[in-house]
Amino acid sequence: MKFLISLIVLVDFLYISLLWGEDAKPVVEVFPATPIHQYAIYGNLAIFWIGILGLLVIIRMKLREIERVQRMGLDKEQS
Amino acid sequence: MNCPRLKDWFGERYDTGALRKYVRGKLLPAHRYSLWYYTGGIALFLFILQFVTGMALAMYYVPHAEFAHKSIIEIVTKLNAGWFFRSLHHWGAQLAIAILFVHLFAALLLKSYRKPRELLWYSGFILLGIAVFFGLSGYLLLWDERAFAAVRVATGGAGALPLIGNFIKAFLRGGIDVTGETLTRFYAFHVSILPLFTILLLVLHVLIVQVHGMSVPLSLKDEPRREEPFFPNVVYKDLAIWLVLLGIVVTLATFLPPEIGQKADPLAAPPENIKPEWYFLFLFQTLKLFPGEILGLNGETIAIILISGGIFILFILPALDSKSRSGQRSPLFTVIGIGYLVYFVIMTVVGYFS
Amino acid sequence: MKLDYSLVTRRTFLNTLFGGWLLAFFSGTFFALGRFAFPTLGKEPDFVILKPEDYLNIPPNSTKPFAWGGKLGLFFRKDEKTLIALKGVCTHMECNVTYKPEERKFYCPCHKGWFDEDGKNIKGPPPKPLEIFDYTVEEDKLIVARKGVKVELPKA
Repeated sequence: MKFLISLIVLVDFLYISLLWGEDAKPVVEVFPATPIHQYAIYGNLAIFWIGILGLLVIIRMKLREIERVQRMGLDKEQS
Repeated sequence: MNCPRLKDWFGERYDTGALRKYVRGKLLPAHRYSLWYYTGGIALFLFILQFVTGMALAMYYVPHAEFAHKSIIEIVTKLNAGWFFRSLHHWGAQLAIAILFVHLFAALLLKSYRKPRELLWYSGFILLGIAVFFGLSGYLLLWDERAFAAVRVATGGAGALPLIGNFIKAFLRGGIDVTGETLTRFYAFHVSILPLFTILLLVLHVLIVQVHGMSVPLSLKDEPRREEPFFPNVVYKDLAIWLVLLGIVVTLATFLPPEIGQKADPLAAPPENIKPEWYFLFLFQTLKLFPGEILGLNGETIAIILISGGIFILFILPALDSKSRSGQRSPLFTVIGIGYLVYFVIMTVVGYFS
Repeated sequence: MKLDYSLVTRRTFLNTLFGGWLLAFFSGTFFALGRFAFPTLGKEPDFVILKPEDYLNIPPNSTKPFAWGGKLGLFFRKDEKTLIALKGVCTHMECNVTYKPEERKFYCPCHKGWFDEDGKNIKGPPPKPLEIFDYTVEEDKLIVARKGVKVELPKA
């Protein structure tokens, strides 16, 4: 499944890069052309991924703690 | 996430005992196939993403044949991060439909459609149809050359169904041909009709899952069952997976924003090499296999009848698979399921590269 | 269970870390969404450029509308010698005002507000007078500007 997705992404990328040479019909700019905006976008993407990875680390910490507590049997209500 | 005061506020007004018991008692089987359980949640997350980005885009999109294309160009060029939200909506759609197919084939091969969960299969199948129609209607809203031609072909194809074909074609197109009426109609479907039916069916679908719990494949029937609580274990795992997925969609949206072609001209020739969206490719590739005439009958009509038959058989599979219904292993239907999967993948790939 | 030398329990630590990070992450996400949902709110222009012949010769005791950004502007010839440019928007709740020549007053129909021929609010709810613009004629252009705004036109 992951392979299929990366294959599709790769082919899309090649297809789009091939379009660069196409004869000039007015092409709508679907991605900002100015470098300052491009740096901002890629920088934000990096921060975004750092955010996600941080969250994944914290979730893993929580899961390990929860499973530790559950193995000890401490999560059952006192009957 | 404790909030005892909030819990007390509710507890003093509503009998939360039953709900608490349910929350504590909801357990999911853990086995080597339980990863597939997450596909439904992923689809739900992607749909929520589509709803949110769709609502945001709908504030600026103008659903009139004269202004639609221009309004999208305005969104992409003039608004703060407009290009990004459109790109996000595009990629969210691609992944949502892809994961729905994964979810379908997982349910098919793990045979979770068997008794007592048949309604899940039927409602899910209809939801997949709705999702595909979401994709088609949304695609036309761009109103560029490619979208226009693609919808002409798709609705024309629907028209080839015998007896009801013309009726369906007129209903979809809002007339004889694809026009501004079609755009208005598809917009109504995309932002109002389909979302309402989706929500209704989804609520039903998820409720039925709560009633039956998760299905365990028959091959694991005799294994000792390990279970984990849904709250909080599986919720956190769901959240982690959804976060990764969000990252993937955002990354795809950033690096591969979809292009905007020339505005549609109903009288112009369609662009070269026009192809429908990838989730239709297997249908059109199948159509191409059939010769123009078979034994004096229209080849295309026969093809469409056979395709419809194949889809219909898949739809009623729970009713046909009597062995699964009685809790027995059903290798014939495993083979049939694999056959559908292989056919779908091969036809899609061939259609993509041809 | 809290260890004596520890500030918080492991649970509190994890939950705070998780909640805080989630908050930061989603506030960033919703900020981006908000920026998209709330477009750059339109500003009124500092000045507009009109054609002199359209407005300088209107008859006395009459008005002629012009576009001030998206809002209503009015040229008002009070008498033979006085031509005023003003914003035809009521200072109460921003309805458009009309000029009543028989009474030589501006009238806002939304809440029956009245302004005199100099734009001063005289009756009804409007709290402030109508905004008066400065105008000049430069070469072949009639430039209407907000009071105090210096207009520098780029040389063609």
